[in-house]
Amino acid sequence: MSEREAPLLEFRDVDKAFDGKPVLSSMSLSVRRHERLFLVGTSGVGKSVAIRLLIGLLRVDAGELRFHGARIDELSEAALLPLRRKIGMVFQHSTLFDSMTVLDNVALPLRKHGGLGLAAARVAARERLAAVRMEQHAARMPAEISDGMRKRVAIARTLAMRPEVVLFDEPTTGLDPVSARHVDALIAELPATAGVTALVVSHDLISIRTVADRVALLYRGRIHALGTPAELAASPDPVVAQFLAGRSQGPMDTPGF
Amino acid sequence: MMPQADPSSAPGAPGPPDSRDPPGALSPRPTLLGRLREAVIAVGALTLAALRWPAQLAAVLADTAGGVVRRVTGRSRHRRGDVLVQLHLLGNRSLGFVLITLGFLGMVMAYQACLQLSRITGDTSQIGQQFLRLVTSDLAATLTGLMLATRVGAGIAAELGSMKVTEQLDALRMSGVLPIDYLVVPRVLASMVMTVVLSVLGGLAMFAAAGLTAKLSFQVNPTVFFDASSVTFTHLAVGLVKALSYGVAVPVVAAACGLTARGSSEGVGHATTSAVIGGSFAVLTLDLIWSIAAYLAFPGRL
Repeated sequence: MSEREAPLLEFRDVDKAFDGKPVLSSMSLSVRRHERLFLVGTSGVGKSVAIRLLIGLLRVDAGELRFHGARIDELSEAALLPLRRKIGMVFQHSTLFDSMTVLDNVALPLRKHGGLGLAAARVAARERLAAVRMEQHAARMPAEISDGMRKRVAIARTLAMRPEVVLFDEPTTGLDPVSARHVDALIAELPATAGVTALVVSHDLISIRTVADRVALLYRGRIHALGTPAELAASPDPVVAQFLAGRSQGPMDTPGF
Repeated sequence: MMPQADPSSAPGAPGPPDSRDPPGALSPRPTLLGRLREAVIAVGALTLAALRWPAQLAAVLADTAGGVVRRVTGRSRHRRGDVLVQLHLLGNRSLGFVLITLGFLGMVMAYQACLQLSRITGDTSQIGQQFLRLVTSDLAATLTGLMLATRVGAGIAAELGSMKVTEQLDALRMSGVLPIDYLVVPRVLASMVMTVVLSVLGGLAMFAAAGLTAKLSFQVNPTVFFDASSVTFTHLAVGLVKALSYGVAVPVVAAACGLTARGSSEGVGHATTSAVIGGSFAVLTLDLIWSIAAYLAFPGRL
């Protein structure tokens, strides 16, 4: 197995339930180094739950999670801190700290994870903001910038620590089409420019077709189909066909409705 | 009534229950064992639900204690001056509220005490001494604690609760920050200091207002009223221990409410309400515990 095909992140028979209601049931999935893997599925199917399990924001009920082959599902909260330096996350609603400026939002992980002083962290944060064309808004508060700008700042904050993996939780949801395509372009560049592996939770069909190297369809708590966008587009599976066509009529049950 | 025939089912196989049948027509009667099992499950679920909140509170208290140890031993990185900021927000901004409320309470209590005593014995000369002992060992700290449970507790729960429901706490954890160390520990340290300080100042305001009321309403001599000779170190120590414990309890209860907020704005509102109720309840419970402990430890000296 080549290094590119070796699993960087693995879900192995992962179960997760809330209040006795199963969300993930024996879910297994491997993420390869430097790929852009899109985890797709209908609303409420457990996509966001799956990526939150990876960085310990939620805990698995059963099964294993592995990073570079080592178990990460049993780490304590303190032991998870260095892991979160290697696996970053961009939240669905950007989730900037509303009491800090844009600059200090990006500087915070540099200070806490990176151990930089305030002045050095701000210098480094300004560089990261320049990479997403947000340096001119460094002094503004999150409430004063648009959703698209907040998303770019959130990406800059996550990339500030130069992680190996970035988890994106519906990065284009709520954005206008132009901003969404800007975000797509940022994600598409990540493996080449930053050596980052991207695991993207999405149901944006344009993003899936244009950015994804592989697509995993999560359905009824486990991976129902996995392949390149072209492979899935050619799939005769009625569930895959319904999802990719965006049809309301079909065999899929939609837990979000 | 027969169930509708299902073409796919074998002849004679039981079909789905018809919705027009009376409830339970096709369901077997529950056995005694089945009822017992359901009762045990229900009691177990209720017990778990009842234990969930104390367990969460204990976890936040233990995490906060760990955070204080990490901070004291230099194993946690924190914002310089974060405790000073919280001293100002929790303490300085509560000063007027505490002085006014305790002052008014002192006036009301002194007036009522003088009124009742003047009706019964006519001798109000001992009121000042007894009132000062009560204020020092109990009322100043406990009433300050109750006031802070409303103002400080609600504020902490609302702030942490809104951060929780907007995922900012998760974003903090992703930024290499333990929310307890970053948000709760400075508030608890500041609250410990300021609850003691505000209790002392509130007690002075209460006593001064009480003396003024006694003088103006019942012509009690201020020299007699402000006689502190009967107040001992034991009264002071009991009052300070109570204030210190309230200083821990109020922000920890509020933090536990905020950190476990769920949903959206409704969840934040619920967390805030729970913080005020829980903080007040914690203050009164601790007051009872410390009062009994002091009574047993220092018989005849309180």
